[in-house]
Amino acid sequence: MSNAMLIDLTRCIGCRGCQAACKQWHDLPAESTRNLGSYQNPPKTSGKTWTLISFDEITVDGQLDWVFAKRQCMHCQHPACASACTVGALHKTADGPVAYDAAKCIGCRYCQYACPYDIPAYEWDQTLGLIGKCDFCVDRQAAGLEPACVKACPTEALVFGKRSDLLAEARRRLARTPHNYVQHIYGEHEAGGASMLYLSSVPFASLGFPTLAAEPATAYTELIMRQTPGIALGVAAGASAVYWIIRRRQMMQEQAAAPATVTTAESAEEVQS
Amino acid sequence: MNLAIPTPRAPAQPPRPRVSGRAALIAGLLLLTLIGGAASVYRLFTGLGPTTALSDEVPWGIWIGFDFALIAFSGAAFTMAGLVYILQRESYRPAMRPAILFGLLGYIAVLVLLLLDLGRWDRFWSFFINWNVHSPLFEISWCIVLYSTVLMIEFSPQLFERLGKERPVRWVYRIVIPLVIAAVTLSSLHQSTLGTLYLNMPYRLHPLWYSPILSLLFFLSSIVAGLAVTLLIYPLACQIRGKPVAEGIPAGLARGAAWMLLLYALLRLGDMALAAELPALFALDRFSLLMWLELGLALAAMAIFFSRERERRGWQRVGALLALAHVLLNRFSATLFAQVAPEGASYFPHALEWLSTLGVLAAVALAWYLGVRMLSIFDSHSHAKFHH
Ligand code: SF4
Ligand code: SF4
Ligand code: SF4
Repeated sequence: MSNAMLIDLTRCIGCRGCQAACKQWHDLPAESTRNLGSYQNPPKTSGKTWTLISFDEITVDGQLDWVFAKRQCMHCQHPACASACTVGALHKTADGPVAYDAAKCIGCRYCQYACPYDIPAYEWDQTLGLIGKCDFCVDRQAAGLEPACVKACPTEALVFGKRSDLLAEARRRLARTPHNYVQHIYGEHEAGGASMLYLSSVPFASLGFPTLAAEPATAYTELIMRQTPGIALGVAAGASAVYWIIRRRQMMQEQAAAPATVTTAESAEEVQS
Repeated sequence: MNLAIPTPRAPAQPPRPRVSGRAALIAGLLLLTLIGGAASVYRLFTGLGPTTALSDEVPWGIWIGFDFALIAFSGAAFTMAGLVYILQRESYRPAMRPAILFGLLGYIAVLVLLLLDLGRWDRFWSFFINWNVHSPLFEISWCIVLYSTVLMIEFSPQLFERLGKERPVRWVYRIVIPLVIAAVTLSSLHQSTLGTLYLNMPYRLHPLWYSPILSLLFFLSSIVAGLAVTLLIYPLACQIRGKPVAEGIPAGLARGAAWMLLLYALLRLGDMALAAELPALFALDRFSLLMWLELGLALAAMAIFFSRERERRGWQRVGALLALAHVLLNRFSATLFAQVAPEGASYFPHALEWLSTLGVLAAVALAWYLGVRMLSIFDSHSHAKFHH
């Protein structure tokens, strides 16, 4: 079972230590941004900001709640970005991270369309731009370390572990203090499931988390793409058959009429051949 | 040996006022090509940020829109080659070479536009060694490269005949059937996969457009586009070369396009009905109006092509333009207008995107015109000599 992260929004105090730790570990440049009247800064994840705490004021049953939510790549179980990538620059590793091989990427930006969470970001200010997104600290994991954000979090709002263990832990929390949570583990089933699992006190849709079916977004595409060799053979065989049948019919017609009508060079040749 | 290949006749001397009109047109196209070329070079060495209006919310713009439409339009080449060589409708042969010339130029333009759009255009070749067989774009890239090669061979007799070289022409005609089968196969694959391309975006593409049969719809509409393009350019090629239009060809193409459009429209409407999306069609929001416009263009073209007017040159032209407008709009809907983009998205193409796109399109028009004037564009009976 691969690694995952449990993100419990009710434990987050919005300190943004994870956001800073991420920038530091990955050596990501600062972003020029402006004040949008919120602590949320920059306004969205980008090629330079792979993770970000969002700040939302949500009213549920007349009760105001200020909710902080860590945003980043979900590290899907069936990543649409990886399925779509023209050159296989993105792939799901056995450990859980959906890693990015920058040396392969051609910057086509198809992954941006495929991702149901709008996560892959392009480096628009570069002459030869690449894609940037959270890599779940694939390098740290390979060295046996926990991700930088998890290490930085002072409140254990972020927990790193095996996906099955974290799902069990999430269920335990939902059962122990049901009044603290909406009964939904976001990421358990969304688009086929993800390595990032969320618990929240408010409905995820109110935080702008997309509402996704349990079916991976790649289902149709992969079904059809798998037929490619068959379609190619079928079309080639079909075209050959059609050619052969029509040609034969024409030759037979010409033969039947041959003695009378061999006048042009073309039909004479055809009769001979 | 005496070469019995007739060299193309010098174009008939047109009357004076038309020469200046034509010269102005050529000068205009040349100017657009040069400006577009300069804009493109600037873009390649500057990056996408400063030269486009694209963003993480709208990562694909008019380059991709025109690119995908141009691939469909260039379907003229495989449609006509298939018609003449596979279905063996010999009477359409005169229209084939202009269509193949257009297809070849179209695909070259497609490659140029794709290159402009790639963030890492310096490693466009990456897909040769890095494979992802699940990826529609991977398949499309391979098909386009392979098919462009096939097209070059299919096209080559137009050049070799002009140069009076018989041997390579004979060589091409010896393999012409397998060649055309390869062309039809590669085209079927990537024309349909351009529709498959959108199937992993169920949350981005509006439900009126999103459909499991997108692949089939894209394939059928590429044939419609191919027939419509040929309907436009074959009489044009005749006019440029001062040849009579072979009667029956344009009307026949129109008839074919009519049936294709009927099949296409039935599938599209049937699919919407089955998916219970017809209410969305009457929502009268931005998307439903866009869909009405799309359908209206296709149905109008179909009505003209089914009516008696399809015999008349003027109406043929109107019908073909409507059909092409439909396909162009459809590809733009899929990439831009019918995309439910994330919040904060806005896109109005940067001037550089316009200039480079116009330049590429002008170059296609110019090269096609010059090709029609200078190449062996009307079949010189090589097929009769070599093809058996
Ligand atoms: S969230 Fe998006 S970018 Fe991350 S793995 Fe899933 S599809 Fe890929
Ligand atoms: S932009 Fe790069 S990572 Fe994204 S799909 Fe294209 S090649 Fe793959
Ligand atoms: S470090 Fe932990 S507590 Fe601080 S913002 Fe990130 S998730 Fe919240």
